[in-house]
Amino acid sequence: MKNFSLTILKEDCCGCHSCEVACKQEHNLGVGPRLIRVIEKSPLFIPVYCRHCAKPPCKDACPVDAISRNNGIVLINEEICIGCRECVTACPFGAMQFDDSRETAVKCDLCMERIKEGNAPACSLICPTGCIIWGTTETLLDRAGIK
Amino acid sequence: MEEIKKIRTVCRSCHGGCGVIAHVKNGKVFKIEGDPSSPISYGTMCSKGLAITQIAYHPDRILHPMKKGPKGWEQITWDEALDTISDKFKKVVEKYGPESLLVGQGTGRDYESYFSRFGNLLGTPNTLTAGHMCYLSRIGASLVTCGRFPVCDYAGEPKCIVLWAVNPLWSNPDEYKGVSFWRAYKKGAKLVVIDPRKSFYTKKADLWLQVRPGTDAALAMGFFNVIIEEELYDKDFVANYIHGWEPFRERVLGEYSLDRVEEITWVDKEHIREAARLYAATKPAAIHWGVPTEQTINCTDFTRTAIGLMAATGNLDAPGGNVFHVPPPVRTVSQFSRHEALTPEMKKKRLGGDQYKLGARMTFITPKVAWDAILQEKPYPLKAGIFVGTNPLITEANAKDIYAALKKLEFFAVADFFMTPTAELADIFLPAGTWLEQNHMAENWKFHGYVLARQKVVEIGECWQDHKIFLELGKRMGQEWWPTVEDAIEWLLEPTGVTWEQFKQKGYLKGNMEYYKYRGKGFSTPTRKVELFSTTLDGWGRDPLPKYVEIPESPVSRPDLAKKYPYILNAGLRTPNFFHSANRQVPWLREIRPDPIVEIHPETAKKHGIKEMDWVWIESPRGRVKEKAKLNDGIDPRVVVAEHGWWYPEIKDEGHGWDISNINILTDDSYESMDPVMGATNLRVLLCNISRCDEGQEARS
Repeated sequence: MKNFSLTILKEDCCGCHSCEVACKQEHNLGVGPRLIRVIEKSPLFIPVYCRHCAKPPCKDACPVDAISRNNGIVLINEEICIGCRECVTACPFGAMQFDDSRETAVKCDLCMERIKEGNAPACSLICPTGCIIWGTTETLLDRAGIK
Repeated sequence: MEEIKKIRTVCRSCHGGCGVIAHVKNGKVFKIEGDPSSPISYGTMCSKGLAITQIAYHPDRILHPMKKGPKGWEQITWDEALDTISDKFKKVVEKYGPESLLVGQGTGRDYESYFSRFGNLLGTPNTLTAGHMCYLSRIGASLVTCGRFPVCDYAGEPKCIVLWAVNPLWSNPDEYKGVSFWRAYKKGAKLVVIDPRKSFYTKKADLWLQVRPGTDAALAMGFFNVIIEEELYDKDFVANYIHGWEPFRERVLGEYSLDRVEEITWVDKEHIREAARLYAATKPAAIHWGVPTEQTINCTDFTRTAIGLMAATGNLDAPGGNVFHVPPPVRTVSQFSRHEALTPEMKKKRLGGDQYKLGARMTFITPKVAWDAILQEKPYPLKAGIFVGTNPLITEANAKDIYAALKKLEFFAVADFFMTPTAELADIFLPAGTWLEQNHMAENWKFHGYVLARQKVVEIGECWQDHKIFLELGKRMGQEWWPTVEDAIEWLLEPTGVTWEQFKQKGYLKGNMEYYKYRGKGFSTPTRKVELFSTTLDGWGRDPLPKYVEIPESPVSRPDLAKKYPYILNAGLRTPNFFHSANRQVPWLREIRPDPIVEIHPETAKKHGIKEMDWVWIESPRGRVKEKAKLNDGIDPRVVVAEHGWWYPEIKDEGHGWDISNINILTDDSYESMDPVMGATNLRVLLCNISRCDEGQEARS
């Protein structure tokens, strides 16, 4: 499996927040943790989301090695997580979230299960402007119209 | 473990119609996905549609019929509920006549045809909707001007798009979802945006005209001034297909010089000139217009002028312009509604019908005349009614009067999902089904050339889809209906030869589009032409030519009032997560928008000592409410913009905080403020003042 990633073309985000609800539904999350979030600063919309960093500060901060990175996807093992929030503080993007009901950190998993079946991540699928693009490095550039 | 079923259906969390795949397990919907095969939404969805599971399975949802007894609400059976309503209605008909019954709906859950049929067969002309200032007014004004409703033809790939008072990716998806706009824009269309607020679209636009709220009709006249002076119009079309060009031309040149239009609209005349040139010179070009243009005294005349622009530039019914879509050959909403069943005597008794003749043509009454008939009993009293899917206490103008009217109404029933502030004032509550609980030929009343198969995915509690409520109540009133909702769908489908089962498999039916249908047979108006000079309005003794009238409560018309209320309040700001007064109790959506927002320019806020996220009093001559400040330098410092639709489901007393942040406590519904032929009430533009809430006033209750 090649490395996968997801990026948001900020200038095309219309601020509809559909991605947020699609993500909550996909990950069975209630009020609180927001694995993807759009901040409104009229007339700008600023998407906040996990970049799945090559050198993830969240992973480095984790005292129990609950965070790993495979195929470009940074994942947290909620069984191992002790709920110390070190990763939440370490993330420079504000993407690492905490779920009070489970008392663990939670994060974007790039909808790995969907990707395995060839489906787009939930947020990307419903985006009306198509500004949430995902794929391998090659297809990503293609989808962004950069290549 | 039961397997997962995936059922294809159609959303209705707003006016939508987006294709949906509902995932069901153990009889419960656990996931909603967009349907990539939908010809109008292509798999995209908005937050409101995705959150339907949190509406359908909400702990506060009412799942059984209820009646209000001495000790409050108590559960009853459907039989008791429907018998109680029909008994009361029969008594009112006997004693006061059917015209004393009020049948009301809000923006609708796609049951308009059932609503109208029920009202017509009941024999009352008093069917109440928001249509006079939302969408139906657009259609009514279109019918007298060009015979049918011209819709932006995104499939035909416009090369220039004018977004006029609309945010298509957030709201107002009647004929087309925002994604259609976006696809056309991404193909390189030029973009003109007319909006009092800087926005996502104004950043994308080739030209942004920051118009003074409520002056769109004057701006449209400004466009015409340029098009006429510079002869940018389609001479052949004008000569052959426009009625009244000369008197209209005279009025435009005589009364709407660019200097005057600039003075009225606050838009630089050179920007108007550039925008008019871009629209007129680019072919094809389309105008996509939104509801703010309809919610003022200029409701009818804006639509008439906008259609004039489409016509004069040769864009009417041209590919990529504004077109008349051809529906599939199903039976129509009008046939279903049985308008002919209402007797001429009853039609004459329609409240406000004499005054608002164009509105009456759409077969509905405007809210103002309903509240007055209840409160003042003139020209006759309304005694009882039913409100289906509507929360007028929050969404109609001058809410304090509405509260008094609903309190005074002898008896009424509501059909809804939740106990809203309006429902709390009722005598009977009927639990309505969401779109997940509906079988229906969706969107039959729209003008996009499709009908869509909305099929029932689940049943929840004892809830009934609204259609079944009208049908069963109608039968109890002795009306002619089908045995079931599904039988009614078969009747609608009959001319196509497609059965309900086949329709569900297909998902949708589409009409065969033809352009330029007027060539040869003309337009469906009395003169067979586009009537810039309206023979219909002329016949009613009204001004046959469109014009701009100053908003009755503005700094221009009321400088005296503007001393105390110095700002223009642009009320009714939409959000992408709420649908009017709905969704405030949905956790996923309320998390995104926890508070009612009033947008204030930073300079203005500074003058009043208001900081970001302070609670702010907004006050008009009708009262005051509070919303939370968001500073926005993308609006004019003389304008304040406020969200509508706010109440607080989390407040558990019977008012549910209906008067705390409800912007319609401030709006005016005086007759002087209404559109004189349509009867549109002004939900949009008024005068206000602002002040920071003192300490201790910040809390919601």
